[in-house]
Amino acid sequence: MFLDKEKIFEVVKANTLKVLPDLVAEDVTIDKNLSDLGANSVDRVEVVIYSLEELSLKVPTSELHGIRSLRALVDLLHRHALSK
Amino acid sequence: MADRFSPVAITGMGVVCSIAHAIPEFTNAIREGRHGITKLPVDENHSVRIGALVQDFGWQGWVESLKSSEPGIYARARKVLKNTTESTRLSAYVATQAVLDAGLGELGDAADEIGLIVAGSNLAQDYIMQNWLRFRETGRPNPRYALSFLDSNQVGCLSEILSIRGPGFTIGAAAASGNAALFQAFHWIRSGIVRRCLVVGACIEFTALDLEAFAILGAACSGRWQDDPARACRPFDQAHEGFVWGQGAGCVVLESLDSVGGRRIQGELVGASLVLDGNHLADPNQKGEIRAMQLALNSGDLNPGCIGYINAHGTSSPLGDRTECAAIKSLFRDHLANVWINSTKSLTGHCFGASGVIELIACVVQLNNGFVHPNRNLDSPIDRELKLVSVKAEPLNAKYALSNGFGFGGINSTVVVRKGLTS
Repeated sequence: MFLDKEKIFEVVKANTLKVLPDLVAEDVTIDKNLSDLGANSVDRVEVVIYSLEELSLKVPTSELHGIRSLRALVDLLHRHALSK
Repeated sequence: MADRFSPVAITGMGVVCSIAHAIPEFTNAIREGRHGITKLPVDENHSVRIGALVQDFGWQGWVESLKSSEPGIYARARKVLKNTTESTRLSAYVATQAVLDAGLGELGDAADEIGLIVAGSNLAQDYIMQNWLRFRETGRPNPRYALSFLDSNQVGCLSEILSIRGPGFTIGAAAASGNAALFQAFHWIRSGIVRRCLVVGACIEFTALDLEAFAILGAACSGRWQDDPARACRPFDQAHEGFVWGQGAGCVVLESLDSVGGRRIQGELVGASLVLDGNHLADPNQKGEIRAMQLALNSGDLNPGCIGYINAHGTSSPLGDRTECAAIKSLFRDHLANVWINSTKSLTGHCFGASGVIELIACVVQLNNGFVHPNRNLDSPIDRELKLVSVKAEPLNAKYALSNGFGFGGINSTVVVRKGLTS
C-alpha cells in the first residue's frame, strides 16, 4: 500500500478520536498539538502506537518520544513508510 | 475522635460476581443458593477446567447508564476505563455502586477526607500474560501497559473516577486481602484519620498457569469434579477437593457514625483483626485462626456468645475446612448450638482477595433480611457438632455475625459485623 501524508493523517486522526472520546472530528486538524486537544502524555503514546500498528510500521521507540504536533507525527510516520 | 470500641457504619455496598451484578440480585441469589460455577474455555489437558466467571458484564453499557444521572462520574469513567484491565473496570463498577448506594454521589469538597483501599495483589495476571504474548508477536506491549499492570493503578483509576483525595493504597494478604483491607479502614476511621473510606475487593484475573500451580499444591479443585461443575465446590462436605476460583468484586463504604447524618446505616463493622502464623506456606493454622477470631471479638468488646452467624472462610479445601471447624469449635464451645455457619464460596467460588468484602456484604444482607444462605453441596458434613446450614436456607435472628478470611502465608483476618438498625 502506498501511504501518502493524507492517508497517514486520516489514520492518526481516527486514532486521536478513539483515544479522546470528547473530541469531534472537526477539532482534529494537522496544525494542532495533541496536548492542545486534551491528550496527556499517555494518551499521546496511545495515538502513536495505534497509528503505527494500523499502518504496519516499525519505528524505534526512542524516535517516538517528544512528538507533540500531529504534523510532526505524520511526517515521522511518512518518513518510515517511504523507507519501508 | 472515636473511642476505643466505637463501631464503624457501613452505608453503601456494591457487588459483581458470577451470581449477581447488584446487591438485590445478590441477596436473592444467595437466599436461593444459586451458584455460578461452569466449565472454563481451556484445553482438556489442564487440571483446572472450572470456575465461576462474571457473566454478561459490559463496562461500556454501565458507564453509558450514568450519562444523565452522574455526568461527572460518566465523563471520567469513560476515559479512565477505556484502555485498562477488566479487573479495574469491575472495581470501578462496584465502587460507583457503593458510593451511590451510600447516597454520596459526586464527592466534591468532602473528597479530601475519604480514603480508598483496594484489596488484593497480583490482580492483573491475565493482562500481563496477554501483553507478554503481544510483545513476543509485535515487539510492543499495550501503550498503557506500564500503568495498568501495577495493582496500584486501580487506586489511581478509582480516585480519578470518584474524585477521592484522602489516603489510599492496595493491600495484599492473599485470600485474606479483603478482610485485611477492612481491618485497615476500620482503624483509620476509629482513629480519626479519615471519616469515610471505600474498601474495594478487586477481582483477580488468574491465568490457566496460576490455576495449574494451585492444583499442583493440592489447593485448587482438580480431580473428578471437573466434569461436574455444579457439584465441585462443596465446603465442609466430605467430598470436598479444593477451591474453585470465582471472579468477583465488592465494595463497601465505611464511615464514622458522626459522618452518616440522616443516611441509612446498613450495618456496623464492630471488630477486626489481622495476625500472622509465622509461616510462609499454604498450611492453615488452628491457633492463628482462633487468635484472629478472638482478637476481632475483643476489638469490639464482644464475646463468642454474642455471635449468631459465622461466614466461614470455607474454601472447600479439605485441610482448610477441617482446620477452620476445629478453630470454631475450640473458641465457641458452649455456644455452638446458637451459631449458624455457611460459606458463600459454595455459591460464588473463591473470589480470593475480593472474598472478604463480598462475604461482609453477604453477612449484612443475611442479618438484615433474616436468613442464612444454603451451604451448596453439603451432602455429608465433615462435622456433625457445628450448626452448618444444610442445602436449604434457614431463618436467622441474630445481631452479630463474624466473617473469616485466611490467606496463604499464614495471614489470618476476621471481621465482626452488627446488623443494620433498620432493614
